[in-house]
Amino acid sequence: MKLIKKQGDNICFSVIVLILAAMPLMLNAGMLSGSSTVLFLGKCIAFAVVAIGLDLIWGYTGILSLGHGLYFALGGYCMAMYLKLQQTNGQITDFMHIGGIETLPLVWRPFKYLPLTIILIVAVPSLVAFLVGYFMFKKRVKGVYFSIISQALTWAAYSIFIALSPYTNGNVGITEIKTVFGSIKGDANRANMFTLFYVSLAILVLVYALAKFLVSRKFGKLLVAIRDGENRTYFSGYNVSSYKTFIYVLSAAIAGIAGAVFVNFNGSITPSQMTIAYSITMVIWVAIGGRGTIIGAVIGAFLINLCEYNLSSGSMVEIWQYIIGAVFCITILFFKGGIVGIVRDQLPAFIGRLKNKKAVPAKEAAK
Amino acid sequence: MRKLELTKAAALAAAAAMMMSLSGCGGGSSDGGSASSEVTTAAASAGDDTVKVGLLHSLTGSMAISEKAVSDAEKLAISEINAAGGVLGKQIVFVEEDGASEPSTFATKAEKLIDGEKVTTIFGCWTSSSRKAVKPIVEDYGSLLWYPVQYEGMEASPNIVYTGAAPNQQIVPAIEYLIDKGYKKFFLLGSDYVFPRTANMIINAQVKAAGLEVVGEEYADMDQTDFAAIISKIEAAQPDVIINTLNGTGNVSFFKQMSEKNYTSKEYMTMSFSIAEEEVATIGANILQGHMVSWNYYQTTPGSVNEAFVSAYKAAYGENRVTSDPAEAAYDAVYLWKAACEKAGAFDTASVVAAIEAGGISFDAPEGTVTIQGDNHHLVKPVRIGEVGADGLINEVYATDPVAPDPYLATYDWAVAAGIQPLE
Repeated sequence: MKLIKKQGDNICFSVIVLILAAMPLMLNAGMLSGSSTVLFLGKCIAFAVVAIGLDLIWGYTGILSLGHGLYFALGGYCMAMYLKLQQTNGQITDFMHIGGIETLPLVWRPFKYLPLTIILIVAVPSLVAFLVGYFMFKKRVKGVYFSIISQALTWAAYSIFIALSPYTNGNVGITEIKTVFGSIKGDANRANMFTLFYVSLAILVLVYALAKFLVSRKFGKLLVAIRDGENRTYFSGYNVSSYKTFIYVLSAAIAGIAGAVFVNFNGSITPSQMTIAYSITMVIWVAIGGRGTIIGAVIGAFLINLCEYNLSSGSMVEIWQYIIGAVFCITILFFKGGIVGIVRDQLPAFIGRLKNKKAVPAKEAAK
Repeated sequence: MRKLELTKAAALAAAAAMMMSLSGCGGGSSDGGSASSEVTTAAASAGDDTVKVGLLHSLTGSMAISEKAVSDAEKLAISEINAAGGVLGKQIVFVEEDGASEPSTFATKAEKLIDGEKVTTIFGCWTSSSRKAVKPIVEDYGSLLWYPVQYEGMEASPNIVYTGAAPNQQIVPAIEYLIDKGYKKFFLLGSDYVFPRTANMIINAQVKAAGLEVVGEEYADMDQTDFAAIISKIEAAQPDVIINTLNGTGNVSFFKQMSEKNYTSKEYMTMSFSIAEEEVATIGANILQGHMVSWNYYQTTPGSVNEAFVSAYKAAYGENRVTSDPAEAAYDAVYLWKAACEKAGAFDTASVVAAIEAGGISFDAPEGTVTIQGDNHHLVKPVRIGEVGADGLINEVYATDPVAPDPYLATYDWAVAAGIQPLE
């Protein structure tokens, strides 16, 4: 019992991982109708990874970023540029040709090499986040002002990516790419798909472990201290802006990795992954799952995406967005702790009350 | 003490419940998928009397307003075919998925339709970005997409049939018509995305080859509402005609602001490639009166087939609805698929594509007889230049015989000379 109370979230995470790990086996055993379910769960893994990053800054540190789609897309574009150059053998792409470019642009050249690409997937979002974070946190920009600026930056990046269409292919984005393990479509390439899926799952486990490690140390307590009383933390002698910058950069790097995983499963990346709407969706996953818990972010990302996937077809097609919206409103109004909060706090209290009510008549009867 | 125990028990129970909901949700998808796959395999073996197709359009988001008309036209064709006995003796059932105006959602949903729902073919997409996102999926899974909108060309996937116009069936003839009519100075205005950029690349080459002049080229953001700067550039350039490839809401703002300056088609003639009957209704017929457009079909296109189509569409969806080129091309797509299946005698993609590539799949469409050209999967179709009338309908002023599709403009010397062909 003690184990469940103390390690409930880790047990929950292990169960999720085990279910996911069993999916390819179920596919091979013929229990799933097709590989599309596994590929979709692969995208969900990417979403869960970015949600963990968001939970670190929002749930723990109180920085609400409404522009994490930017970092997600930057990581995604890095990956997609490498994969596109694999397709063209390092030559220029058709959209560059249409845009009037004759040799491979300088910004594309590092993406000929996989090790360099992997470094850039982490480095590019980190660098952007560092520049943003360093100046904003030094200037003590916080609360809604930070959220608004994060939105504006995302919007600016979106416009730039569309305007630079000879380099980025505008709003069509980078399409017709395979994965780092080759093609994953069709029965013949099932082994590639499983490799990709398990590598992604391993990334999710590593990111979860890293996040858990950080928040369970003194560092995590400091983040919560910053969230709950930033000035007090300053006066206690901590350099709050450095801590904030660090966790923000880490969160951006995690988002970049998630974007790279997503591209492999999705087969394309477009600027719509860095829109404000997309970024806010990510925040909703964390809010519904339960912020400040890490496991809540994972649960939220999986639950919302699975529901969307299953609800947005057939007879539900025109009302599914209302359903998601209603769930979000109810969660925010009545269950601030999200799903994890319901399970951890509200449900035990409710059961406790029921027990008490039962106990009272029993006592009266005894009289 | 007891409270603590209760908390523990509750936490355990709740964690279990959460797992159930999570796996239940996942299980739901796979259950639904496997159930449907059983239906299709049963259909294949035991001769069940239905065949399943997918509809993949944006039903939410910014493109929903346009794609709804297309999806309605497809459903109309399906119900007509079913009423007439179906395809190869089977009734068509459709599964509709929402692309949510977002290319990666289109990709996810295409995969779900093909692999999860096991549909035989997909009718879908509108924007080029959604088509490009779905293209690798249909190619990898060996499925078939019917794409109903005119587009920028430079593509011919073996797993897509393009039932809208290729550039040489809309853009090129329109410019030829303007050159014939004596227009000399062209101003290019478009939204900033792939179709206007590619269209303008083609127009630039074509106009220069004719020895005429492009006096300006401007791009507006997709959702731009302020056109004052662009209008003053137009005033400075004094063009004879504005070639307009704006899309969506940009058109409304641009034409309203032109009319506020009292500019009509007499001062600045425009030739638009993205304004059909639906858009005329939104912008206002009085504003657009006299302006030119180029399509393959108008609601006013003569012929009994079109009369039947228009009245059926209005009967199904309301008297105030109008038919437009994309809706008509989507309607044709369903009938062409039926014709291809009947020629192949089967529903599987390989047989259907083989039948298409053997040539001769045609349909007496509202726009006239259309035929799928086997080598590039585009339609042979007539081109019509139209002028917006006072009643909001578009009247044909010039029409060609059916034009063979040439998505890469390989048969046009000026296009070859300008190096418009893509790589590979």
